[in-house]
Amino acid sequence: MSESTSTATVRPESDTVIELERVSKSFGTLKAVDEVSLSIARGSCYALLGPNGAGKTTLTRIIGGVLPRNGGKVWVLGRDPWEEQSEVKARLGVVLQEDALDEDLDVARNLEIYGRFYWITGRRLKEKVHDLLTLVNLDGRERSQIMALSGGMKRRLVIARALLNEPEILLLDEPTTGLDPQVRQLIWSLMRKLMAGGMTILLTTHYMFEAAELADRVGIMDQGKLIAEGAPAQLIETYLPPFVLEFESSQATDLFLAEQAEPLLVERHGDRTLIFHESEQLLLDLVSRLQLSRTGLRGTTLEDVFLKLTGRGLHE
Amino acid sequence: MSEMARVTIPTHRAPPRPARIASVWFRHYRVYFNSFFANATPAVFEPIFFIVAMGIGVGRFIDVQFLGLDYASFMAPGILAMTSMYTSSFEATYGTFVRLRYQNTYDAMLATPLTARDIFVGELLWCSTKGLLFATIVGMVLLAFGKVLTPWSILIPLVGFLTAMAFGGLSFLVTSIVLNMNHFQFYFTLILTPLIFFSGLAFPVHTLPRSLSYVAYSLPMFHVIETFRMVTSGYRHVTVSWAWVCPLLLVLMALVLGWLGVRRMARRVQR
Ligand SMILES: Nc1ncnc2c1ncn2[C@@H]1O[C@H](COP(=O)(O)OP(=O)(O)OP(=O)(O)O)[C@@H](O)[C@H]1O
Ligand SMILES: [Mg+2]
Repeated sequence: MSESTSTATVRPESDTVIELERVSKSFGTLKAVDEVSLSIARGSCYALLGPNGAGKTTLTRIIGGVLPRNGGKVWVLGRDPWEEQSEVKARLGVVLQEDALDEDLDVARNLEIYGRFYWITGRRLKEKVHDLLTLVNLDGRERSQIMALSGGMKRRLVIARALLNEPEILLLDEPTTGLDPQVRQLIWSLMRKLMAGGMTILLTTHYMFEAAELADRVGIMDQGKLIAEGAPAQLIETYLPPFVLEFESSQATDLFLAEQAEPLLVERHGDRTLIFHESEQLLLDLVSRLQLSRTGLRGTTLEDVFLKLTGRGLHE
Repeated sequence: MSEMARVTIPTHRAPPRPARIASVWFRHYRVYFNSFFANATPAVFEPIFFIVAMGIGVGRFIDVQFLGLDYASFMAPGILAMTSMYTSSFEATYGTFVRLRYQNTYDAMLATPLTARDIFVGELLWCSTKGLLFATIVGMVLLAFGKVLTPWSILIPLVGFLTAMAFGGLSFLVTSIVLNMNHFQFYFTLILTPLIFFSGLAFPVHTLPRSLSYVAYSLPMFHVIETFRMVTSGYRHVTVSWAWVCPLLLVLMALVLGWLGVRRMARRVQR
């Protein structure tokens, strides 16, 4: 924590605003982050996917300068976020997985007090608070107690709080988990606006749709490792054929699959069977041969890739 | 988005350390004075009841002059010490623990330019400020009752501040290891409360058998009370000949315990 006296290498700032090189972090014997390398370009949105406990939050905390790593290198805006915590954090906006609002203060005071941590004061602070509350549709709630807010309102307030310092990078750890579709839409449109304004976003999510919609690049983590990476469409292309037929497994279908001379790409989730193929026609033929419902035939999604790569079973 | 487009400074710099620490202090100040009367009333009235009940009530039946003082005047330094100690210790145990475990306050603060050390230095200074505040209030009550006898009593707030800093640091050490809030009871009932009673609050420890009085001299609270005694009753009322050491030890304890406590808590939140 010697951010003022540090002699750490400062890289010239470039288009790559976040860069990780074989970053590792252990908690005791548990490798929460295991040799992760990645880079994020300015103005892009990178989504981290992974099952519970994959290490997404831990990695986000390392990038955010609040957790030391055991190995590897990290540059955020050209600096080491652990060695130069304050300098780096002054330019980040962070939405934590838990809201962590100050329940002892009302809505406006939450932002005002937080603004002071960035040394934003006086009229500028008042204006900023007003603008941000308007931005997240919380104007008029200035004097509400935190306890009186719904989950969606709290989340919006947390996002407003993360924007107080006009950050260059946003770290969003599951910003839409547990929210209703309306609030989720509102947050997405807000993210799109910010991205249009040049914001770099690192997003952690369990919603594949969210990642596919918003992210330029997606990284899939499992047990601390980054196991796959790429643009959403490109990831699907790399790992699975474009069409899939999904149905409930039965003796008849199992028997049929066992008898196939030419092996098919088959995945199983519990009692569901998925057959992936290049040819939609071939899958259509299967639908009639096995007397299945046509609704099981669809395009391959990021979720299929995710499940294929991270395995079917529960991770805990 | 017009709000975002109005960025005038391209790169935001981190505030300097004193500003960061002050912002943490200010957060606590703001929360506290939001509900000052609810928060402060019990803490102020307790010592008042104490001095009325013990000093004036019980003291009337104790017809001994303690070091040439009536009983309530004798107890005044102990009451000041107790007030500063408890105010700060409650804040740095229960208060800190709730922020750590239930409110995630420190996680939110850590996302800003604040470092873990900034956060706990700010918090320790806030605990010390509360000690100062309460020592001042109780000091004024004592003054009103005529139990404060010297002009040196102008230093009561400072001694309160230092006392609160020492016990804030000690309490941080406790908070950094406890697993749940019930454990604080051990700290309060087995450590702090006996500490104050064996350190010269209710009776002068130099009248104890020699070996026991040496034990009392080795307790941190003895030095606190002795320092308060100098500023409430004057140096001629101190109980030991080497009393001049006591304020120095108090400063030392405040710095060392404060530093250790901050260091431990900073590690506690960043692992
Ligand atoms: N401070 C800590 N001390 C010990 N273990 C930890 C700590 N933080 C995280 N872990 C462990 O490290 C692993 C990765 O946790 P992390 O929170 O990064 O996962 P995640 O991908 O964010 O999961 P989720 O999707 O549930 O949020 C988990 O096994 C977790 O229990
Ligand atoms: Mg997480």
